[in-house]
Amino acid sequence: MNPHTLLPEPPPMVALEPPEDPRRDRSGRARCSGQPLGLYIHIPFCLERCPYCDFNTYAGLDHLFEPYVDALVAELQGWAQALGHPRVDTVFLGGGTPTVLPSRLLARILESVAQAYRLEPGCEITSEANPGTGDRPRFAALRSLGINRLSMGAQSFQAHELRFLGRGHGPEDVVRAFRAARAAGFENINLDFIFGLPEQAPEDWADTLDQALALAPEHLSLYSLMVEPHTPLFHWVQRGRVSPPDDDRAAWLYEMALDRLEGAGYIQYEISNWARTHQAQGDPAAQPTYACRHNLHYWRNEEYLGVGAGACGHLCRGAPPLAWRPEALHGIRWENHRPVAGYIRRIQDRGHAVRTQDPISPAMAMAESMMLGLRLVREGVSRERFARRHSRGLDQVYGAPIAELEQEGLVEWVGDCLRLTRRGLLLGNRVAMAFLPD
Amino acid sequence: MDLNHIRNICIIAHIDHGKSTLADRLLQITGTVTEREMKEQLLDSMELEREKGVTIKASAVRMIHRWQGEEYAIHLIDTPGHVDFTYEVRRALQACEGAILVVDATQGIQAQTMAHLFAALEQDLVILPVINKIDLPAAMPDDVAQEIEELLGVPGEEIPRISAKTGHNVEQVLERVIQEVPPPQGRPDAPLQALVFDCQYDPYKGVIAYVRVFNGRVQGTPRMQAMGTGREMEPLEVGVLTPAMVPTHRLGTGEVGYIATGLKTVQDLDVGDTITLAENPAPEPLPGYEPMKPMVFAGLYPSNPDDYEDLRDALEKLQLNDAALVYEPEVSQALGYGFRLGFLGLFHMEIVQERLEREYGLDVIFTAPSVAYRVIRTDGTELLIRSPAELPEPTQIDHIQEPWCRVHIFTPAEYIGPIMDLVTKRRGEVKNQNWLDSKRVELVYEMPLAEILVDFYNELKARTRGYASMDYELSGYRPSDLVKLDILVNGQPVDALSVIVHRQDAYRKGQKLVSRMKEIIPRQLFEVPIQAAIGNKVISRANVKALRKDVLAKCYGGDVTRKRKLLERQKAGKKRMKMVGSVEIPQEAFMSVLRLGDED
Repeated sequence: MNPHTLLPEPPPMVALEPPEDPRRDRSGRARCSGQPLGLYIHIPFCLERCPYCDFNTYAGLDHLFEPYVDALVAELQGWAQALGHPRVDTVFLGGGTPTVLPSRLLARILESVAQAYRLEPGCEITSEANPGTGDRPRFAALRSLGINRLSMGAQSFQAHELRFLGRGHGPEDVVRAFRAARAAGFENINLDFIFGLPEQAPEDWADTLDQALALAPEHLSLYSLMVEPHTPLFHWVQRGRVSPPDDDRAAWLYEMALDRLEGAGYIQYEISNWARTHQAQGDPAAQPTYACRHNLHYWRNEEYLGVGAGACGHLCRGAPPLAWRPEALHGIRWENHRPVAGYIRRIQDRGHAVRTQDPISPAMAMAESMMLGLRLVREGVSRERFARRHSRGLDQVYGAPIAELEQEGLVEWVGDCLRLTRRGLLLGNRVAMAFLPD
Repeated sequence: MDLNHIRNICIIAHIDHGKSTLADRLLQITGTVTEREMKEQLLDSMELEREKGVTIKASAVRMIHRWQGEEYAIHLIDTPGHVDFTYEVRRALQACEGAILVVDATQGIQAQTMAHLFAALEQDLVILPVINKIDLPAAMPDDVAQEIEELLGVPGEEIPRISAKTGHNVEQVLERVIQEVPPPQGRPDAPLQALVFDCQYDPYKGVIAYVRVFNGRVQGTPRMQAMGTGREMEPLEVGVLTPAMVPTHRLGTGEVGYIATGLKTVQDLDVGDTITLAENPAPEPLPGYEPMKPMVFAGLYPSNPDDYEDLRDALEKLQLNDAALVYEPEVSQALGYGFRLGFLGLFHMEIVQERLEREYGLDVIFTAPSVAYRVIRTDGTELLIRSPAELPEPTQIDHIQEPWCRVHIFTPAEYIGPIMDLVTKRRGEVKNQNWLDSKRVELVYEMPLAEILVDFYNELKARTRGYASMDYELSGYRPSDLVKLDILVNGQPVDALSVIVHRQDAYRKGQKLVSRMKEIIPRQLFEVPIQAAIGNKVISRANVKALRKDVLAKCYGGDVTRKRKLLERQKAGKKRMKMVGSVEIPQEAFMSVLRLGDED
């Protein structure tokens, strides 16, 4: 296929002495390791909007399912062409609720991924799913498409909390959906929960955790409720209809979860994420076998593609339609146009929907490595990885802020790795800020 | 122009009663300014003035009007409309023989109307009352006429009822000016005596003195002298204001115009001073001159210490146009290098603050305003302090005196109770109560100046639904039981938060300040005690709990740029705070001393 049918007029590329291979710096060292990419595919549709959610998703756009998938396929093919059919080791269908799409449309998406990209053996393919809408045949259909990991937005096991969160499902639906997914052959399942709801009772949270652990999912994500601007929840809080989440209470609930999950054999590998291990329980060297490999790409400041309305990507190389600018030598982050119809039209008209491009300077790339890497509470940021990625020493660049944070008890060195202390877990912003340029 | 064809007038009015609109109309009718040139409220040239609806700096304009076949030069001198500028108002009135008293037909006489009216009567001005805004549905011209008649003895039916907005009856006002305001007196052959009633800085011509020639005349640009300060000057030009400066090479007796003095800063020439000729000086200056006396002081610091030089430059520039503003360097342990500023009053301070932020784009911190206290030491010597930091050790103090003022409040009678309550809470003493008519009353109090500095006017307005108006004048110093209230953050006194308060208020204010600080100071990585203390005695205490949680729940691929920007903003906000010891204090904390209201 001629790439120009997809990307008719790439913006002019301005290059200042472009390196031979943009993945390598002038001394020939690889910037990003040339490792396989993560691939994120955004499905911006939901049956209904939840009042706390600020994701780019819409209810009532069923008539756009078909043209949207057409556009996705075109965008997927366009990037594949532009990047020379790169290797991909994780695919993540996020949303929105990907499972609102009929199976044949999901199949079209995944088939075009398999055609245009070189999927690595054992590639992790995740789909988000809603406990309210899944039964066993449906999950079996997903499984047969090659999806091997499910992430379910359970959110709570308390009926009144689910009502407050505007979820269409009840506690029993979570159990039912989970069992249906297991029966359909899913051996890697994540459950999402939200804590720190206004006035949330600790015993309710404890009960939610207990019920979650009873299901023994491979992975758990526990998110402190954030009041995001432009959401109904935000307006409720502003008008005093709902009391704002209390940070002290949330901190307490979080620490409660830390203890319970550790006791149940889950390994916390990120601020809000826990995974089970294959190794024996209590083994100090145990690795979080079921950590989400797709998300690890993000936190390790690696390359990923984002396709779909409002999706974001990060590449360390230039590729149309991204303008390769001298200041972007250390990478570009971009975001696609967010509204669905506009996204489709842009893909149809010019083959891409890139709305903003954010060139990453060397200083910014290092700051991002810290901001993201320190979220990985076990592996942290290692001197070795930092030096390989940025060609500079971690101590040389950030010696002073690290010393200060150590003194405040927020970070610690464990061998070659800098990571958050238990206290630092709850003060991650303080830590991340210290590395951002003034 | 001979004296008989000159009239010097001003317009006096309460804020918003239509002074500027009437001035605009007069300029239009006399053809001084064409429709096309007419900007709204032409005389209020500064943007800030237009926004606040008040005149800060006086200016003057010459209008030529034909009446009964003869040409008259009518000089209209604009007066500042606020209590802080009483001295400037008086000098402007001194330059006139008559005053148009504008009263709003919907509101009647207000406190500043009275204050300015009494000032005008003191100068023996002929008062021409007019009732404005008769086009408004709420106008009660007959009631207002009755009020004026009782006050001035002018028959109510003879008072012109005008609408400055529509121009209705405004021409009549000009005729009354020519008929009723006497022409200036003065001896053309006597030595020059020109009253400086305002001065401004012009970037091309230096300091411009706005003058009224009482005796003698100016011909060409001979060497001159300011009699009060003795400073000599070599003027560049003289002329009249139309309102643009038009050089005329001469200014005759009785005329109003300008002298481009050749001076470089407005501090070199005081309003109220008399300019005479260096060669043939007048034997004595015109009466009424007083050097500027700032009454209110506050510390001013750049939010970012790197902006210190910029702040100094900005103050220098501001001072070019604001002779009442004084400043000197000051150092605070908490805020670093800054300045101590002196103002005529709280309103003046607000204007300076806004101009610094608006015109110079500077992010600044003002500390709580303070009055000038007089400290009598045990050895009998006296010390004038303008900042709590200057207060000597308690053992060296015999007693402290603070400035008091006489406050006049005009209000509908139903608000007497709430006003009384407000005033007594602020240590006020009732002096008098004069009924203007059956519904409105003038209340006279004596109060410490410090008590009206902070939020008194807003509180008064709030308690009277905006109906009350006030004016004040200083009435002298009185001994007072005052103490210095210190605020300690994390065990360290923060000098910029100290205030001098009356002993009986110390406990209440200390508690309030502590709880305010507790709200404002963000949680830090450790617990921060906040204390209020008098000397070594802690009178109130609260703790800011340690920060427990500050972390983003989610940060995934779609979020990186957005979350990074969020953290960048958070970091910038943190940077704007002041580090006192190891505690970050937001700038608003330093202003919060200003908002220690009377309630709760």
